[in-house]
Amino acid sequence: MSKNEPAKKQHLDKDVEQSLYAKRQKIYPREVHGKFATLRIIAVFALLGLFYILPWIQWDGRQAVLLDLPARKFYIFGLTLWPQDFVYLTFLLIMAALTLFFFTTLAGRLWCGYACPQTVWTEVFMWIEHWIEGDRQQQIKLDKSPMSARKFRIKATKHAAWILFAAFTGFTFVAYFTPARDLAHRLFTFQLGHWEAFWIFFYGLATYGNAGWLREQVCLHMCPYARFQSAMFDKDTLVVAYDEKRGEPRGPRKRNVDYKAEGLGDCINCTMCVQVCPTGIDIRDGLQYQCIGCSACIDICDQVMEKMGYPKGLIRYTTQNTVEGKPTHILRPRVIIYGLILLVFASALAYSLATRVPLQLDVIRDRNTLFRETNEGLIENVYTLKLVNMDEKAHEFKLTISGIDGLQMKMEQDKIIVEGGDVVDLPVRLQADEDALKDRSTKVYFTLKAVDDPNLEVSEEARFVGPYK
Amino acid sequence: MDEINPQPKSLSGSQKIIAILWLSFVMAGVATVVFFAAIDPEALKPCVTFPEVSRSGAYTIGFLLFWLLTASSSILTHYFLRIDK
Ligand code: SF4
Ligand code: SF4
Repeated sequence: MSKNEPAKKQHLDKDVEQSLYAKRQKIYPREVHGKFATLRIIAVFALLGLFYILPWIQWDGRQAVLLDLPARKFYIFGLTLWPQDFVYLTFLLIMAALTLFFFTTLAGRLWCGYACPQTVWTEVFMWIEHWIEGDRQQQIKLDKSPMSARKFRIKATKHAAWILFAAFTGFTFVAYFTPARDLAHRLFTFQLGHWEAFWIFFYGLATYGNAGWLREQVCLHMCPYARFQSAMFDKDTLVVAYDEKRGEPRGPRKRNVDYKAEGLGDCINCTMCVQVCPTGIDIRDGLQYQCIGCSACIDICDQVMEKMGYPKGLIRYTTQNTVEGKPTHILRPRVIIYGLILLVFASALAYSLATRVPLQLDVIRDRNTLFRETNEGLIENVYTLKLVNMDEKAHEFKLTISGIDGLQMKMEQDKIIVEGGDVVDLPVRLQADEDALKDRSTKVYFTLKAVDDPNLEVSEEARFVGPYK
Repeated sequence: MDEINPQPKSLSGSQKIIAILWLSFVMAGVATVVFFAAIDPEALKPCVTFPEVSRSGAYTIGFLLFWLLTASSSILTHYFLRIDK
């Protein structure tokens, strides 16, 4: 740590205070090109492309990815999940969180810089802005100028384009929950349901507000991840950092002069890195929580260094240990622990998905009568069996019972056939000889087995009630 | 690494509103998912006298009610943790 640390910290605190008290100043990030900018463009296209295209892909005659809330079934390519499979969703969420921890520890705010929806959508909104309002200088000029017909026209066009894009985003969001083709048809024939319309509007509005207006405010004040990510950092985490030793003392100079002789460092103080920063900070002040690790400053600084004929990497991805001249460790306890837990969860998920039996049986006892005696003098209990065939295709099932000697089963139909994805209620009567009952209440077991698939088998326990002993 | 994560000294009114609404939104989302994964709104039909709503409608109303609940709780917490200046 350098000697001017307290001074710097004070300065930082003041900054925070100011930015929180002062009215937000609009940030006009300058457009950047370069290695990392290209990487982000690829990420934006890949992620948003996936998001916008997925609802239109068909699989087996239905939408490939459809979280069909109205029908309470989730289709994910070949897999159909039921509310009963909720545990998988939980698993997935835990794994997502662990993956985030893992990568944060290793590579810092990689998520923020390239994959967060906030970043990705903001990026697109900024492209639109740039395309309609022009570059940074033109945007600043336009905002400073008094309202005129021209300004109004430009602003109106920008907002119209934003709103259109946001509406399409809202539409796509809803298309994950109700079939996309249908939804599009209903949209264009003005037959949208209230709730669909509400959610399209809501999600669209959120996109427009977050990506158009709030932008870095979301990262600074709303994002929970931004608040706790520093807990996962250590001195070996990859961060965007300015090489103070090399850059300072900063200052302007002419090209081709021996600046070292004049006592200057490599930083020419062009403030380009500040101009490109989407959160409006100066990376040269050191690691700050506002830095979302977008690496725009790396790209721009490298270009400046190239122009000056200096080596690149004055601002670069590095670790605190490297900056301090110590060795960096990639494999360290917390990385290994996160990795191991992740592996355990992933294997558990894979295992339970592979051994998942797409069949469910619920047994409900008749609530009205505990038992009755038949004409033949047998004790009878009545149940309703709920069969859920979570498989894609129909199956014929065989039902067997056990638990009491000489237990008999009476059913109305002699064949149990359940269509794929269907739920069937099956009334069943069980009869037993009173002498075979040792207790007032005895456990009985229903076993349901598919005739054509021996793996498709479930058992369910129930109670058989008789008279007092 | 506390030095890179200074806690803000104070938040403006709109930032407070956003923080309350947004975080309660997230929690309401979680609650809605858990609730409706366990309970089918159709199964609730016999128990509630409610104007006819579809499942999507029930999910939406459920979500908005949860949001109302989580947001009220956050607002109350904020109110009681207030420090008079
Ligand atoms: S700070 Fe939060 S909202 Fe911003 S990019 Fe990172 S994860 Fe996304
Ligand atoms: S300091 Fe650099 S990496 Fe961090 S947010 Fe600003 S431009 Fe992006």
